[in-house]
Amino acid sequence: MRAGRYLRYGLCYLLALVWFVPVVWMAVTAVKPTPEVMSFTPRWIPSEVTFSHFGELLAKKPFFLWLLNSFQIAALATAITVVVTTFAAYALARLEWRGRNVVFTMLILAMFVPWEINSIPLFFIVKDLGLLNTFLGAALPLAALPVSLFLLRQFFINIPTDLEDAARIDGCGHLGILWHVIIPVSLPAYGALSIFIFIFSWNEFFWSLISLQRADVRTLPIGLKTLVGAGDIQYDLMMAGSFMATLPALIIFLILRRHIISGISMAGVRR
Amino acid sequence: MPKSKRNRNGAIALLFLLPYLVLWGIFAFVPIVYGFFISLHKWNPIGTSKFIGFQNYGDLFRNPRFVGALWNTLIYAAWAIPLILLVGLVFALLLRRGQLPGGAAVEAALFFPYLLNVSVVGILWRFLLDPDVGIVPYYLRVVGVDPPNFLNSPMIVLPTIAVVSAWWLAGYRMIVFRAGLNAIPDDLYEAASLDGAGSVRQFFFITLPLMRPSILFAAILTLVAGMCMLGQVLVMTNGGPGTASEVMALFMYRTAFESFNFGQAAAVGFILFVIVFGVSLVLFRVLGLRSELS
Repeated sequence: MRAGRYLRYGLCYLLALVWFVPVVWMAVTAVKPTPEVMSFTPRWIPSEVTFSHFGELLAKKPFFLWLLNSFQIAALATAITVVVTTFAAYALARLEWRGRNVVFTMLILAMFVPWEINSIPLFFIVKDLGLLNTFLGAALPLAALPVSLFLLRQFFINIPTDLEDAARIDGCGHLGILWHVIIPVSLPAYGALSIFIFIFSWNEFFWSLISLQRADVRTLPIGLKTLVGAGDIQYDLMMAGSFMATLPALIIFLILRRHIISGISMAGVRR
Repeated sequence: MPKSKRNRNGAIALLFLLPYLVLWGIFAFVPIVYGFFISLHKWNPIGTSKFIGFQNYGDLFRNPRFVGALWNTLIYAAWAIPLILLVGLVFALLLRRGQLPGGAAVEAALFFPYLLNVSVVGILWRFLLDPDVGIVPYYLRVVGVDPPNFLNSPMIVLPTIAVVSAWWLAGYRMIVFRAGLNAIPDDLYEAASLDGAGSVRQFFFITLPLMRPSILFAAILTLVAGMCMLGQVLVMTNGGPGTASEVMALFMYRTAFESFNFGQAAAVGFILFVIVFGVSLVLFRVLGLRSELS
């Protein structure tokens, strides 16, 4: 029994090591002199630490612009999602009306539609709305993801009705109940929803590639992709760019680790 | 509830749902219908488009490159979906009970790749798998295995991308599955061990049946995402070698924005929609998941 447990521990540590080694290798490579990057035998400890790749990258590519663009789109998508799904989830979870089940079933079915496949017609719709190459055009389809509404609805429906009844006796209308009862007790759900949508939008690739074609509105994932396009492969620059793109995520993750993981576990669709 | 109250609630519900429904309508529902409409035309984005019926569809299925892309997508999905789910489930089971010393660090290491964006994942693995300077082929040679050229051999490229996807996404599934595992009451296991059931039997008679709905639901969502995979191939192989890793989404993207044949690209999108939506709908109904979600 005891040996079995240590075996399990050992396996966990080994897996964690294997899983994280690529990230470490990326960081090490980003600060290595170029000849050591292209060496046939891996050098885990660089002979000297150099930041020249970062300098070269920043001189060649508008990295901070990509970062800022990504941040604005993710923040915009998150804000719109939170506002719009709050009302919709209230209607689906706290109001009794004919057709509610039909709408809820449609919502579940909508989750099975991969929204990327809409990108060709969506391109023309967004173009006709004059939103091509705008952050709003990139963010709005993300705010329409049915998963967000589903998540909030699942939380709202489990709130006990007594609080709501008490508020109603005090003369609260639907907006009052929403503002004074539902939203305050749902803050963890809002945290989960925001984290989920922010990460999703931050890493979104397909739609940004199509809707943001001008160089000055590119997001981080789309911008980084330009590092691989050009003929000769410069792994030192590629690793420097990847590492710089990873650093914000790493820092935020180290600070908010518990919140992010519990947010994801709440947002991950389950029963 | 009295009828008038229900009706009034209906009006309020509609009002509350309206902003979301408008967004969803414009950016999710209308595109499906509009995409089908575009696919029936020789689409001209700036002038008049000619209605050609189902000719785009016929052309596609006669095009070996499209059939190849369809096939590649299925191969990728067949590798990636079980891998992502299985690795996620194994991680969740391993980390399940909290007594592992340093469990939080292990969990963080397994989850962190999910926070990388797809370009970083693709760029990083191109480097790791590089036949000359990559550390994966290097260490394979060290242990005496002759490494294949992972991203440059037609037979291996799609399974390789599936493994990379599992590295990227399994941590997310781990977190979701673990939440499901933790929701199983402990007394079930206690009762089972009193009855003399070992951990293997406990897994098959308690854990697996109780986890079934969440595993199946995760499977459907992973399928939906996997069938539309684009980022990984675009960064790692650009569909190569040749067209060995050209999946449907990449074929659609190229048809639209490299060949500017928007009608045919929309047809690819609609075919993908029919396949993915059809399969998930059938799975959803056959597996009886509807009641689990309300």
